[in-house]
Amino acid sequence: MAGRRGLRNPRALRESGEAYLYLLPAFFILGLFTFYPFVDAFRMSFQNVRTGVRIDGQLIPFFREYIGLTNFQILFRDRHFLQALTQTSIYVAISVPLTLGLALLLATALNQALRMRAFFRLAYFIPYITPVVALAMVWTWIYHDRVGLLNYILGLFGISRMRWLNDPSLALPAIILFNVLRYVGYQALILLAGMQNIERTYYEAARVDGASPAKAWRHITVPLLTPQLFFVFLISLMGAYRIFDEVFILFAGGAGPLGSARTIVFYLYDQAFNNFRLGRAAAASVVLFGIIFVLALFQITVTQRRVHYDQ
Amino acid sequence: MAVSGEAQRLRGMTTYRLQRGLGRMSLYVVLIVGAVVMLLPFFWMLSTSFKTLVDAMRIPPIWIPSPLQWQNYPAAWHAAPFARYFFNSFFISSMTMVGEVITCIFAGYAFAKMKFFGKHVLFLLVLATFMIPGHMLLVPSYVLVRGLGWYDTYWALIMPWITSGFGIFLMRQFFRTLPDELWDAARIDGCPRVRYVLQIAVPMVRPGIATVALLQFINSWNSFLWVLIMTDSPLMRTIPVGLRFFQMEAGTEYPMLMAASTMAIVPVIILFFFAQKHFVRGLARTGVK
Repeated sequence: MAGRRGLRNPRALRESGEAYLYLLPAFFILGLFTFYPFVDAFRMSFQNVRTGVRIDGQLIPFFREYIGLTNFQILFRDRHFLQALTQTSIYVAISVPLTLGLALLLATALNQALRMRAFFRLAYFIPYITPVVALAMVWTWIYHDRVGLLNYILGLFGISRMRWLNDPSLALPAIILFNVLRYVGYQALILLAGMQNIERTYYEAARVDGASPAKAWRHITVPLLTPQLFFVFLISLMGAYRIFDEVFILFAGGAGPLGSARTIVFYLYDQAFNNFRLGRAAAASVVLFGIIFVLALFQITVTQRRVHYDQ
Repeated sequence: MAVSGEAQRLRGMTTYRLQRGLGRMSLYVVLIVGAVVMLLPFFWMLSTSFKTLVDAMRIPPIWIPSPLQWQNYPAAWHAAPFARYFFNSFFISSMTMVGEVITCIFAGYAFAKMKFFGKHVLFLLVLATFMIPGHMLLVPSYVLVRGLGWYDTYWALIMPWITSGFGIFLMRQFFRTLPDELWDAARIDGCPRVRYVLQIAVPMVRPGIATVALLQFINSWNSFLWVLIMTDSPLMRTIPVGLRFFQMEAGTEYPMLMAASTMAIVPVIILFFFAQKHFVRGLARTGVK
């Protein structure tokens, strides 16, 4: 109320003007490179889009025309898109809970460990900040059929050689292993920060009441950590659906054996930049957005009921 | 009866202590094994980068090669224009970092401390960017960049990244911690707001700025798909994209590939080493509350 009345006095008006000036650079960029392309993606998904590129030496002039739902109809009849959708969903369904579960255990362990904390932080966090392209390159070498380090180590335990990147049934496991190791430390550090914010008094009270450490973990740590767990779950869910870079490097720019490493973003990239079907790629990106949006909405409604906030 | 009960209690306590000690030890064992698993790929990369091709292919593997084959590094460096890739990566990451810091300082300050019409709606727009998957913007951005005539130029690699919803949000969180009285005092002394922001407020939120700057630098440094689709000529490639093309050329020359990967990773690790504190602070802030 005060603010509304305040706008009529010249000083508040000047403050508004000044604030808009402060916001201008950021919103100009966000508008041009986030909001406009966002809206345009929806528009393009209903269009046939050709941009001024050369195909076989012939210049295709830029044009866009509305073609209704055709892109979506083609998409859902396209074996490759359905494969990408299924495989990405399987990847998400396995890797997200797996990583988060391990991260929770790791955070619990790090919370107990008083010594060497700086070393552990470094060791577990490094894979996350490393350029993914370089790390994936290292893993193409580790996954090597004949002389790869992984097969050698598995061999020490009597497990026979596996063709990690050349066997259709192993493509997803290879990607999952790579990304679990890449993200577990990062997620654990977020959870650890949350754990260290929990009031000591809760644990003291629990000890006085004779609760075991395991019980305290189950009934104090985990419930009070739900905001962080929820946050990590949501961002990793959204991130996992967008998987591309590591797959592109691990499978040398291809979709893996029999397309077993084809993900939604790979499909999108392939359609747009190898086949120049920008409209269809935009439609695929709208589907991707739809999935993420629904999952996020679902998450948020569940959270309203389940998350315990401190205070 | 009472005595034996006491004895039992004592024995229970010793086993409890013993279990605790064992638990503590197994805790460290697990953590150390985990850390070894995390670091092994990096060690393996380094080790391979110092081997001859023949030694790299040996089973059982040679963990520490001798003599060290240093020449893999200059060989990789000259096999592709890595100097140019490094320059591009440094230039683009630095420019986006500076841009991000400037735009986020002003927008973050406005959201934290100023009153203006439509503040709530505009802030919701900032939060809404978190929900937009970046990959959804690829195709329309490609068309936009072509339309602007920025395809295969630094503009396309820098301008879209000089602000972010996350950076604005983070700076707002930091500016909110400053007391309002500070600005009141400055205003009474006749200090214009821009000067107050730049000379008084900004130095007080230096850790926040370091976090935003670092995260942006690393993001730019590691960015792959955007650079891949927005550039065409080798002269515009950054390290990740250059590495990808080097992978196509080098094929199975793993020692050289690993040398190139090492060169790409080392700057980030050095940066992380000196700025761990800010990374962790940024992380803690990303958790809700």
